[in-house]
Amino acid sequence: MDRLTSWIARAVFLFLYLPIAALIVYSFNSSEVSYRFDGFTFRWYAELFADRMLLEALRTSAVVGVIAALVATVIGFLTAFALVRFRVKGRAFFVGAILIPLIVPEIVLGVSLLTVFSTAGIPTGLLTLVLGHVVITLPLATLVLMGAMSSLDPSLTEAATDLGASPWVTFRRVLFPLLRPSILAAFLLSFTTSFSNIVISTFTAGVGTTTLPLRIYSTLRTGLTPELNALGTLLVVATLGVILAVGVSQMRRILAGPTTTP
Amino acid sequence: MNETTESPAVKLTGLTKSFGANQVVQPLDLEIGRNEFFSILGPSGCGKTTLMRMITGFETPSGGSVELDGKNVDSVPTKSRDLNMLFQSYALFPHLSVYENVAFELRVRRTPKREIDGRVQDALALVRLQAFAERKPAELSGGQRQRVALARAVVGRPAVVLLDEPLGALDQKLRKEMQFELKRMQREVGITFIYVTHDQEEALTMSDRIAVMSEGRVLQVASPTEIYDAPASRFVATFIGSCNVLDGAVSADGRGVVVPGLGELNAAVPADARPGSGVTLAIRPERVTLSPATTVAATAPLGGVAGTLVERVFLGDEWTFHVRLDSDVVMTVSVPSGQAAAALGAIPDGAPVLLSWAAADARVLPADGSTTAAPSSAPLSSEVSA
Repeated sequence: MDRLTSWIARAVFLFLYLPIAALIVYSFNSSEVSYRFDGFTFRWYAELFADRMLLEALRTSAVVGVIAALVATVIGFLTAFALVRFRVKGRAFFVGAILIPLIVPEIVLGVSLLTVFSTAGIPTGLLTLVLGHVVITLPLATLVLMGAMSSLDPSLTEAATDLGASPWVTFRRVLFPLLRPSILAAFLLSFTTSFSNIVISTFTAGVGTTTLPLRIYSTLRTGLTPELNALGTLLVVATLGVILAVGVSQMRRILAGPTTTP
Repeated sequence: MNETTESPAVKLTGLTKSFGANQVVQPLDLEIGRNEFFSILGPSGCGKTTLMRMITGFETPSGGSVELDGKNVDSVPTKSRDLNMLFQSYALFPHLSVYENVAFELRVRRTPKREIDGRVQDALALVRLQAFAERKPAELSGGQRQRVALARAVVGRPAVVLLDEPLGALDQKLRKEMQFELKRMQREVGITFIYVTHDQEEALTMSDRIAVMSEGRVLQVASPTEIYDAPASRFVATFIGSCNVLDGAVSADGRGVVVPGLGELNAAVPADARPGSGVTLAIRPERVTLSPATTVAATAPLGGVAGTLVERVFLGDEWTFHVRLDSDVVMTVSVPSGQAAAALGAIPDGAPVLLSWAAADARVLPADGSTTAAPSSAPLSSEVSA
């Protein structure tokens, strides 16, 4: 029985990581077709850095991702604080309402966003992309931060107030340091959600603001090139870089939840 | 009395709090003196925590006012009130070291840097934790955490420190130690302590004065000995220590209390008691004398009561005897273990016995059901309106 489960575990790992391994291997494949490995080359990396449209899309995605994640984290923090700390009227309603964008099919959200923007006369572009992405990332950020805040002892903020701290000082010296791992988690989760989004972007992107997923999707019509493997490899490396930068210990704290007074 | 030096540390006037239709603190007046160790004692839900939170400013009163040091602070926010609180959960900042926890208030209030270190060291010395300055709260025991919280509360030298059941989370032995420690520290720093607790033993051992609360009312404010020896109501008598209570009425001559089924009993009837009025008789178990009923008829002391010994329980430092009276009420008698208890060892269970007490030890209280506090006989500095 033990041997069986251990083999299943290995199979699952293989299933999860084989595509990534294939991506990395074929990004160095000198053949133009992906079913044959001909030899080692950096050619696709060179082509990638020469592909202005792809790089432009990467930049758009990065900018939209960072802005949307920042907005979602800040608003999410304030929303979570209000819902966890105060006896707000209709609290249950607001908590439920926050979850709705997570449940409603994205395609529906995309259509309704486009309707709103065109009715309001807002031209699609960077602004509408960011707004659209905030709609889907805000619930995530709020949920992560609500969880972290409700596990903090409410006496901590009262103690800070009692010791003479203003609300801002309480945030800077007590809440922010304690919630930093969760704030970071909310930001990263929002960023990756925005970065990989395709449905909302389809509706809210304008001319000249094509995001990376949209660009990659559109190249499907002309066929995938190994250049995309090179891009994928660089993104995997970048992701690993973030994980290392955040620190393995920090990631552990994110997974284990915030530190609280025992 | 207008000089600031003469005004009490805390003065509450008509202070009250309602949540919706529920009045959790009835209007009350209270004065707490400088350097006093003052306890607010009552069962959970009696309003003591709300009362404390109104003094700190965390809770806005529905009526009445709070004065600190002779100055009205009704419109002063918590952060600017000259008092600190020791939270039940200690509320130590988990990301800061012991040193930084204690230094928090000084840094926030922009105390000159050169002063901070000395004052933090003094506060840590007071609670004997100098060696633990660099530890994080998670690396301390419960008792140590509590001391850090105390050091943090006194480092800014507030006029008043409020303590919210600070010993609740500690085990029995540590709790006893900390009772003496807290009292020592309070004397050392000379700060008014307002100690909120449901534990009558804690209140009795540490306090200069105790306010007993029940259902949002302050029933009695007095010294521990007075609260114990001269409880003002049945609630106070039974909540603090154990107490035998018998319902009856003042006798016709106004010298004793007639209890149905037992006749007239020896009691300290107040001079102004109306004959025939319903009262409750309260007698502490250790003030009752138990004797074998061999010569009942001949030598029964005035007001003595006959009964049957039901059982005895050994508690280490004392024996508790349960005696069923003729009226079927069971009275408790406690006798220190040793010779006195040994002498009673000869009485078998089921044997007739005789109970007696000095008139002064049988307190006459307003009849059951009344929560009106009788004026206490010798208040130290304040009266409770109820």
